[in-house]
Amino acid sequence: MKPALEFLIKDEKVYSGALSCRGCGWSLLVRHLASILGEDTVYVAPASCFSIISGPYPLQELKANLVHTVFAAAPATATGVRAALDRQGKKDTTVVILAGDGGTFDIGLQALSGAAARNENLLYIVNNNGAYMNTGIQSSTATPYGAVTTTNPGEGFKRAWPKDLMGIIAAHNLPYAATASLAFLEDLRQKVEKAKNTKGFRLLMIDGPCPPGHKTDPAMSIHIGRLAVETRLFPLFEVERQDYTINYRPGKNIPVEECMKHQGRFKQLFRPENRQMIEEVQAHTDRYWMRLEMLAGM
Amino acid sequence: MKKENSPNSITLEEPFLESFKYPRHVQMVMKGNYAAAEAARLCRAGFIPAYPITPQTTIVERLSELVSEGKLDATYINMDSEHSVFAAAMGAAIGGERVFTATAGQGLFYAHEVLQAIAHFRLPMVVCNVGRPSIPWNIWSDQSDSLSQRDTGWIQFYGESSQEVLDTIIQAYVLTERIQIPVMVVLDAFYQSHTSENIWMPDQNLADRFLPPIQAGPMSIDMKQPKSFGGLLPPEYYNKMNYSFWKAMNKVEAIAEEIGIDFGAHFGRPYSNVEAVNIGPKTRLILVTLSSITSTARGVIRDYPEIGLLKLRLFKPFPREAVRQALAPLSRDAIVAIVERNFLGDREGGIMQEMKRALYGSDYKMYDFFAGTGGKDVPPETIEKIIHRAFQQPEEATWVDVD
Ligand SMILES: Cc1ncc(C[n+]2csc(CCOP(=O)(O)OP(=O)(O)O)c2C)c(N)n1
Ligand code: SF4
Ligand SMILES: [Mg+2]
Repeated sequence: MKPALEFLIKDEKVYSGALSCRGCGWSLLVRHLASILGEDTVYVAPASCFSIISGPYPLQELKANLVHTVFAAAPATATGVRAALDRQGKKDTTVVILAGDGGTFDIGLQALSGAAARNENLLYIVNNNGAYMNTGIQSSTATPYGAVTTTNPGEGFKRAWPKDLMGIIAAHNLPYAATASLAFLEDLRQKVEKAKNTKGFRLLMIDGPCPPGHKTDPAMSIHIGRLAVETRLFPLFEVERQDYTINYRPGKNIPVEECMKHQGRFKQLFRPENRQMIEEVQAHTDRYWMRLEMLAGM
Repeated sequence: MKKENSPNSITLEEPFLESFKYPRHVQMVMKGNYAAAEAARLCRAGFIPAYPITPQTTIVERLSELVSEGKLDATYINMDSEHSVFAAAMGAAIGGERVFTATAGQGLFYAHEVLQAIAHFRLPMVVCNVGRPSIPWNIWSDQSDSLSQRDTGWIQFYGESSQEVLDTIIQAYVLTERIQIPVMVVLDAFYQSHTSENIWMPDQNLADRFLPPIQAGPMSIDMKQPKSFGGLLPPEYYNKMNYSFWKAMNKVEAIAEEIGIDFGAHFGRPYSNVEAVNIGPKTRLILVTLSSITSTARGVIRDYPEIGLLKLRLFKPFPREAVRQALAPLSRDAIVAIVERNFLGDREGGIMQEMKRALYGSDYKMYDFFAGTGGKDVPPETIEKIIHRAFQQPEEATWVDVD
């Protein structure tokens, strides 16, 4: 069987005891990533929950080198690591950035864009849990419309739409970019393998469950992740240069609220005075999907 | 007190004899920025992240030419900012490459966060800073940028001439790779960066013999022994990390001095951390200077036999021992007049602060003179003004040429 399809990881590339909350996307994601990327990998991590999960000194979660770096500059640090490895003939070593949405959509966007535009031979993984979780759930530009965070004076929830990171990334004309979900492991693992075997700048954005941040039941993380894909809130697609492929088309039209209702961060939207915001999310989701279909049909 | 110029005072400079001075060197006329770039070539820098900023830009431009001419085998990458320049420098240094880059003013301020990281990671590298101050826009000579970064854990040298900048960069690589602390070599905007001077350019193999290829250090990536670099460090360990950094920093003064002497043995030009000119029991006043102001002061004091000069070449860690020794011959009522081309938002300039710390417990009369921030020229007349004002026992810190 292709290693990507071996969900039951036999040869673990992480040690046990990751320091995440229960139901966290980070630790599950890194475990799957590492099992495919192997030990000939250098990870570069800006500040995020993963900085903590990966273990305080002298512990180390990964069976590979891990370079922690400043919040804004992981793609730049990775550029330097890549250059050094290349100069030493280690061209097959994979250099992987593990960043959160804050480190990607906000503070790290410039360094990300720079590395992408140079088409550095790097694999960028963004675990999008939709807020600055490590510092305790503050709004990022990935935070969904209507979600509660601790930095929304007044109503307490966000009134702006999240950035279309994949659109920004696609505009860099990259060899490979894709979205993936921990609820669709086969798809996720194949994408990681494809990204590993592609040269140049690759980016995978993974929908990141975060029970404390999303105010969800830890046992529901994967279920909610599946609903995010089924409701098209988090579509699964790939972009290769200018070519879009939708990887999964939900069979039924399930309304977005079926996914949102499990998440305490959206609770206030179910009050009568805010219900129209759910309609707005639905309309936004539908339009985004239509646009994806158009792009995929081109 | 001004001494008449005697005909003897110029006989030392004989161009003909000069040309035999340094074997295995070529004499050239070169701007300071190009000398810095050539030094990086001589040191075989392997990774150069680049970003433009006046008055540094011609360093990275020249490095780009050297790479394209095949004279330097380096990976040269145009980054998106100085923050990224330093972050990439950090990555390549962890990867075990010899790193060089250059910046100035806003670029250095912007990189502040990463300067700290590079020092804490104990990564060897050499970076040139061409000093200029912060906005309101000003591109002229000023040392507020590098002096404001003196507490980031980097070693700092200030070069008086382009030759010294070139030579110091070579020494800095030996130092940084021996002690695993990054080094910043500072030169003056325009007075050095864009001014042509005579340079003795050493042969490549002379440089190679002095500076062997870089070796993997304790903070380099080893694919066979994976590690985590810079992850969460609990208090006990963090404190210990600083302790070992502190111990290493305390050795820098002695090691730098040794490397300067060793450099002299190889290249014929010895260096010391500080230079004392005419400091003796009869000296009534000494000037304390950094960088090219030193040359101006040298010229001025030739006419004043009772005035000496202390030039600081190593600035961080502050060469406490060398300064104390240099000043030891002074009489108790000698005056120390410090020339500052920096303003750090405090009553005293950066040099005065360090001098006071170094001389704590001694009772020299120290006066601080702010002169020439934002690139304002510090001609010989200004130095003379400082000398006269210092004799009049002014306020502890004053400005010259402002009213
Ligand atoms: C320059 C800088 N600003 C702020 C921080 C504080 N900080 C550390 S982690 C973090 C949140 C990270 O959020 P995200 O990237 O979304 O990752 P997550 O924790 O959600 O996985 C912040 C704000 C920092 N480390 N550096
Ligand atoms: S706060 Fe969220 S992202 Fe951070 S460790 Fe917990 S579950 Fe994971
Ligand atoms: Mg986040």
